[in-house]
Parts: sequence; C-alpha cells; structure tokens
Amino acid sequence: MSIELGHFALILACAIALMSAIGGLTLWRSGERLASVLAQSAILQFVLVAVAFLAVVQAFATSDFSLALAANNSHSLKPMIFKISGVWGNHEGSLLLWILILVLFGALVAAFGRRLPADLLNLVLGTQSLLVVAFGGFTLFTSNPFARLAQPPIEGADLNPILQDIGLAIHPPLLYAGYVGFSICFSFAIAALISGRIDQAWARWVRPWTMLSWIFLTLGIAMGSYWAYYELGWGGWWFWDPVENASFMPWLAGTALLHSALVMEKRNALKIWTIFLSIITFSLSLLGTFLVRSGILTSVHTFASDPTRGLVILAILAVLIGGAFLLFALRASALRQGGLFAPISREGALILNNLFLATAVGAILVGTLYPLILDALVGTTISVGAPFFDLTFGALMAPLLLIVPFGPLLPWKRADMLAAGQRLVGAAGLAVFLTILVSALGGVSISLAPLGLLLGFWVTFGAFAELIERGRIGRIPARESLRRLAGLPRSIWSTAIGHMGLGLTVLGIVSVTAWETELVTTLNPGETTELAGYTVAFDDFAQIPGPNYMADTGHFTLTAPDGGTSKLDAERRTYVASGMPTTEAAIATFGLSQFYLQLGEPLDNTHVIRIWHKPYILLIWLGAIVMAGAGVLSLTDRRLRVGAPQRAARQTMEPAE
Amino acid sequence: MIFWLIAIAVTAITCAALLYAGRGRPVNASPGESADTTNHFRQLLAGIDTDLAAGKISADEALGAKGELAREMIRAKAEAKPAAAGFGRTALVSGAALVAAVALGVYALLGSPNLPAQPLASRADVAAQNMDLGDAISRIEARLAQDPNDIRGWTVLAPALVQIGRFADGANAYGRVIALSQPTAQLLTDQAEALLLAADGAGSSEAMALLRQAADLDAADPQPRLYLAAELTRTADYAEAARYWQSAIDLATGAEPWLPAARQGLAVAQNDGVDTTAADQAKMIGGMVKSLSTRLYDEGGTVEEWTQLVRSYIVLGDLPNAQKAYDASVAAYPAAFDRGELDTLALRAGLKLNGDAQ
Repeated sequence: MSIELGHFALILACAIALMSAIGGLTLWRSGERLASVLAQSAILQFVLVAVAFLAVVQAFATSDFSLALAANNSHSLKPMIFKISGVWGNHEGSLLLWILILVLFGALVAAFGRRLPADLLNLVLGTQSLLVVAFGGFTLFTSNPFARLAQPPIEGADLNPILQDIGLAIHPPLLYAGYVGFSICFSFAIAALISGRIDQAWARWVRPWTMLSWIFLTLGIAMGSYWAYYELGWGGWWFWDPVENASFMPWLAGTALLHSALVMEKRNALKIWTIFLSIITFSLSLLGTFLVRSGILTSVHTFASDPTRGLVILAILAVLIGGAFLLFALRASALRQGGLFAPISREGALILNNLFLATAVGAILVGTLYPLILDALVGTTISVGAPFFDLTFGALMAPLLLIVPFGPLLPWKRADMLAAGQRLVGAAGLAVFLTILVSALGGVSISLAPLGLLLGFWVTFGAFAELIERGRIGRIPARESLRRLAGLPRSIWSTAIGHMGLGLTVLGIVSVTAWETELVTTLNPGETTELAGYTVAFDDFAQIPGPNYMADTGHFTLTAPDGGTSKLDAERRTYVASGMPTTEAAIATFGLSQFYLQLGEPLDNTHVIRIWHKPYILLIWLGAIVMAGAGVLSLTDRRLRVGAPQRAARQTMEPAE
Repeated sequence: MIFWLIAIAVTAITCAALLYAGRGRPVNASPGESADTTNHFRQLLAGIDTDLAAGKISADEALGAKGELAREMIRAKAEAKPAAAGFGRTALVSGAALVAAVALGVYALLGSPNLPAQPLASRADVAAQNMDLGDAISRIEARLAQDPNDIRGWTVLAPALVQIGRFADGANAYGRVIALSQPTAQLLTDQAEALLLAADGAGSSEAMALLRQAADLDAADPQPRLYLAAELTRTADYAEAARYWQSAIDLATGAEPWLPAARQGLAVAQNDGVDTTAADQAKMIGGMVKSLSTRLYDEGGTVEEWTQLVRSYIVLGDLPNAQKAYDASVAAYPAAFDRGELDTLALRAGLKLNGDAQ
C-alpha cells in the first residue's frame, strides 16, 4: 500500500500547488493571511512529495517489481546504493527528483521568508506553485512513476550499467538542485514584474539563491564531467555534447546573474537586466530539461523517447518562458532605472563580464540547437562538433579572462584604469615568467598553449591583487597585514578565491590539451610498455565475477619515473541482466596529474590497451571545487544573509580608494 | 477500503492545516506592506549610524549615504499603493475544497488502490522460479524411474535435458513421449534436433528418418524441411536439398527470419554447392571501396567512413591498402579518443599503429 499512498501524496501535493498557484497569482495583494496559507502550503507540498519519493525509494530497495518503474530499471542483484540511485537513473524518477527539489526550495523560501513583504512572498510562492503544477501534471499524466503492474515480472530489467556508478548517484541531485534553484530567481523576477516593485531588498534576497543554485550547478557539472572522464573509459572530460551544453548554458547565465545581482544589490543599478537574466537562466534550465527529457537527443541521458512527452514539455516551456517574456515586455518599462555610473567602473566591468558570458551562451545555444532545427525543418543531419565550440567559446573566454583580475580592483561608480593596472603589474610579471618557464621546460611547438597558460596564471595570480592591496602586504609589518587580511569582509575573500578557482580550471584545461600523451597498443600478460617516462607492466588477466556482472580484469603495475610503483586494475564488465559491457578504467594519481589506462577489446590472442598521461588534469575539477567553495564562503558572509541587512548599507557607499 | 480511509484522513489533515494557517489573526495596527518597507529603511539607517560610530566610514560618507537612503525612501513611499482587502473565509474554504476534490478525483483516475505491494522477498512465485534446474531434473528423473509411463514427466523432462546440454538423454526422453502418445511433426522434429545436437555436426541417419517422417506427417511445417535441407546440403546431396529448400520457401509467408538463409541455401544447392553470391558481393564491395577511398583520400571524411574503408580492405584481404588507409585516418584523427573502434579493428587484423613507435 505504501506505493499507492506515495502516489496519492504526489497527487495531493499537486492539488495543493494548484490552489496556491491560483490563490497566489490572483489574490497576491491580500496580505499576510494569504502569505501564511501559501507558506503552509509550500511546506505541505514538500512533506507530501518527500513521502511520494520515499515510497518509490522503498519499492526500489525491496525490489517491488509491481511498480513498473522498478521492474524496468532495477534488478534484485544490484548493490543497495545503485538500487536507490536507480530511482533517478530514469525518466520518471528523475522528474520526481526534480519536483522534490522544486518543492524543497519552495519550502525553504516559506521557512526563511517570513520577513519578506507579504505581496512579494505571495507572488513568489504562487509562481513556484505554478511550476510544481506544470511539472507535477506532466509527471502524473505522461510519465507517472507510480504506474503499476498487476503481474510483476520475476526480475527487473536492470539499470543501464554505465549509470551504475557512485558518480551518477551524486551528479543528478546536484545538477537538479542547481537547475531548480534558479526557479526561485525566476519566481522572484516574475513577482517583481507583476508587482512592479524592485529594490535592493529584492536583490539582497535573490543573490543568496542565485549563489546557492550556482554552487550546486558548479559541483553538479564538475561531478558529471569527472564521471564521464572515468566511467566512459576514454579519458575525455568534456565533449560539447548537447546534454552537457544544456547544463553549461544555465551555468554561464547563472554566473552572469551572480555578477549582475551584485551590481543591483550594491548599487541599485542593472535592475531590468538582472530580471532578464533571472528569466533567461531558468529558461535555459528548462530548455536543458526539454533537450534531455524529450528524446530529441540520443545519449545516455535520454531515457525518454516518447514524442508526446516531448510535445508536452515543449508546450510547458512555451507557456512558461513565453509568458515570462511577455510579462517582461509589458512590465519592464514600468520598472525604475537605477543608479548611474561611468563606463570605467566596477559596474562597467561587470557589464562587460555579462556581455561576454551572454554572448558565450548565445554561441553555445546556436551550436546546440542549429543541428536540431535543421534536422527538423530540412531533414539534413549535420553535427556541430568540438572544433566549433572550442573556437567560438575559446575566442569569447580569452578577453573575458583578460579582464577578470581588473574587476575587483575597480571602485564603484567611476574608476581609474591605470591605477588598477598598476596593482596588477606583479601578477602580470609572475604570469609571464611562469609561462616562459613552463613553455621552455614543456617543449612547446607553435601553438596556443602558451597564450592559454598566460591567461590561466594571470587569472590565478591576479585574483590575489585585491587581497594584497587591501592587506597592504609588503608596505606595513607582516603582522599588521595579517590582521588586516583577517578583518576583510568574506565577500572579498570569496571573490579572490572564486577567481583563483577559475584560473586553476583554465590552467588544467590548457595543460591537458597541450601536453597530454597517449598510446594505443596490444599487450599480453607479462609484457611491458612505456609512456611519458612511466613503465606499464601487464601482470595478469583474470575473469572475476561481481554482484551483477562478470569482469574481465587486467592487473597492471605502473612504475613512475622516480621509481615509485602503483597497482592498476582495469576492467571490462558485462552485466548479467542486459548483457551490456562497460569499461572501468584504471586511474593512478601523481600529484595533480593522472595516468589513465583502459583495458580495450580482447583480440584473438592479445588485448588492446589504451594509455593516457594527463598532466595536471585534476586542476580542472579542483578549480571547480574551489569556485564552489568560494560561493559557500560568500553565503556565510552575514551581510548577504536575509534578515541582516544593516551592515550592507556601508557597501552601498563603498568608499573609492 | 483501508487505503481510501487513510487517503481521506490525510486530505482532511492537510486541509485543516491550510485552514489553520489562514485563520483570522488579530489585525495589526499598521498595514503589512508599508510597515515592511519602513522597517527596511530604518534598519539601513541604523546600520549607517553603527558604521559611523565604529569609525568605518567618515562623517561625509555617512551623510551621503543617508541622503541617498532618504531619496530612495521618498520614492518608495510615492510608489506604495494601498493594500487590497484581505481575502475572506469563503475563498479559503473553497480553496481547501478544491484541494480535496482535485486530489481524490485525480487519484481515482490514475491510482490502483487495490493493488498490494509485492516486495521480492515475500513473493511465492519467485521462490518457485529460483529452484535449481539440475535439482528439478534429478527429482523428475527419480519419479520417472518409479513410474516410467508418466507422460507428463517425460514431456517436462525432454526440453529441460536439451537445455542443460544432455542431448542424447533428451532425444531418448522425446522418444518416450512419442511412444506413449501419438507422434506429431513437432515431437519428431524436436527428437531429431536433439539427435543432431548429440551427434555434434556429424549427422545422424536416425534423425534424418525422423525428419522425413515429420515432413510427411505435416505438409505445412517448414521446420523439418529446413533441417533436412541443411543436412542434405552438408552431405552434398544437392538435388534433394534443393527440393526441400524450395518446399520450405513455398511454405513461407514472407516475414520469417530464416527466409534469407533459405534462399541462399537454395541458390547454393542449385549451383552444386558453389556460393556464387559471395563472389558477386566481393565484386560489388570492390567497386564501393574504390569510390569510397577516392573520396576519402581527396576530400577527407568522418572517422566512421575511414573505419568503414579500413574494414572493407581487411575483409577483402588487402592488408597493404588497409594499412595505408589506417595511416591516413590516424593522420586525420590523431587522438585515440576519436578512433576507438578503428584501432581495435586495425590491431585485430595485425595492422601497425604509427603511435607504436613513440
């Protein structure tokens, strides 16, 4: 009965959301009584959807194949963690997870939003409930996770083997928390447009949500990238796959939003643009859902390939995004313009940042959608591959990276470019020196690698310029400098660390792209081969059974140039239920570099072995984690927290240095 | 029934919680919205004073900040509109009624309230299924030793023995079924199949006799004819094989999966065992490969096309050209990541990768 109660709980949650959406969007001027009903409703929605979700988890955990979803996606022999992660490793279940996170964020707004003006809260919770109705209705009527089988099969069909991995257990919840978190910004934007009121209090509310969603999205994308890296067996960490682009576009737009909300919070400027970005960012999240869930794209992510579902999602998308932009067109002119500033100023730099990020989103959007649209209209199949994205995205990012270190050094309102430049001389010198050094040691042929390195070092060291300036490092006694640094607002630290993380990621990307070496060869047990100074010995080969698969396992010994050895086990698994093979690459880590070995297809009397040496590849994900950490640090800055706006007044009038 | 009671109780609790949240509170002296706004500005003002007192900003800056705040506040006051009247009890109650009606109605439409949960551990049918096939067979064999005329036992046993690879015993079991009942074309074919499997490709005259009997017994069953035709082709009895291939093809409706193989078998048998289709195919492949290679060398192409070219040369046995095409494709796609299938194919055929030298 628990499954049916879960089903009922989901329906009841959607019914409550329907009531909230109608009430919140029509009676929003009704004040606090309505606000407390909507807040109560948001919390009830969360509790009920959580019950529904747990019911599905329980059915998966006990292998209850009378739940069609479990029969199609689970298997009694799967380890428990993959039984549970299997809940969201499919179309219906992942939508349920999406809704769970949506109502969780709604409940958080309700719980922490008691101090928001009642009409704003009514509109936000009303819009949020409208989203719950749209996605809940879609789930219940076209992709019901609670569909039952009167005659359950003896055994489930199992989850796609490449999804049976710890990375996949974590990646979707993180990514969804990011996607769905932007729904809050969207709801706030809609509320501002309907009520016609937008002020710094609004920005102060939206920024933590943007930051929180952005942190989740950053970690989710990094996790997905690392998962693809180690699980797909090719050592590739980014493929410009449409599904990856679908998550990357909201990230870029969210990054822009993060920066423009900053201008709005501190300077009460860029209001309309911030609203526009809020809508765009969530629209891109929805577009991502549409691309992934509609079956338009064929990839491991595309569990659904039912055209009705695609059409319904497209309709939801059209109504939500179209409605939001219509509202924007009608109401944006009613919003008051904010503070003025000179072109060269912190505001100006942030606008430039937004321009580059928005253009990058546009370029990726074109590259992702153009083949789909062409295919739909003309029937010609073309593929826009990595070269297009590398070229356009790279060309847009290079100037952006160039200006990143300047941003934090420029004062608000009007600034002196020369003064900022002088403070960056040290960072620039260091970057040039290191680039020349590395290029000389690394042996570079004529390529873009040194330029990339230069940008990476420049961003990494430039990030510290503001800290050095504020701490008066080198100009006053060290003890005094330390005291000043410790006393700096956390937002300054978070800016520096966040930008440094970006620099680290750039360095990792450049290093792997320029200096990666690879080797494809055939090897028998007992033989050895060499790559980049490392010796690989193929010790032996064995077939080892796993819980729900058979693994061809190769045992290897890797000897590093310095004499250290490590054991590597690479596997090719064949899963019992589906008969599908997967490759489990063996990865050895040396500092920030990795050695990546793939046991390839067995030949008649030997094995194909593919080996890569990936110098400093871990910087790519380390940088992402540093960026996310900087976001967390920024969230702990109490001046950004709701309910403590008093200290922010000083920020409004940040004294020009 | 219990389910509906629980569902109605949950709905009632939920609606009660909503009604409780919307109950009339003692009306505040100030209307909510403008109080919020004023409060917000008051806090900002206090913050400026605190910063001034702490020496974080100068008196001039504090004055400027206060001025900006005042302008902001005047603007907010001008924009503020009077709050609309609150919504009444009617709206609240009808909202709750809407929730109850929609939830119960939609569930009645979509739910399966009478279907019980069936976790794997508590399912009887699964326990039966999990019994070991070997155990089951030995149990049935023991029973048949007591009562060798149990036709049901032999009927169950025969396919199970074939399934676990005891073909001769399986053929024997089919023989017992036939002896105890009427011989049908299906049973005779099954027995012959078991005999042929037991002979492991060496043929069996007993099986041939059974198949002929089955073919005579059922003029509409292609299965014994296909077996006969295949066996006769193997023993080079082409004239008779061709007759059986033809009769099997005549019985086909057109969608059978074995039809292409039967047509090819007929062609081979009619040509006294020489497979001319293979020669034709080789000629056609040769032509295609030539045009593909011209295009790829001149204009380049996708890695899949290169793979196809290398595979074609390997199939044709033209290893030097295969190596040449492989070298060209490695030059065009230097990253191993792009060439997964191609490398495997080439290495399997004994081609050399340029990268080997590194």
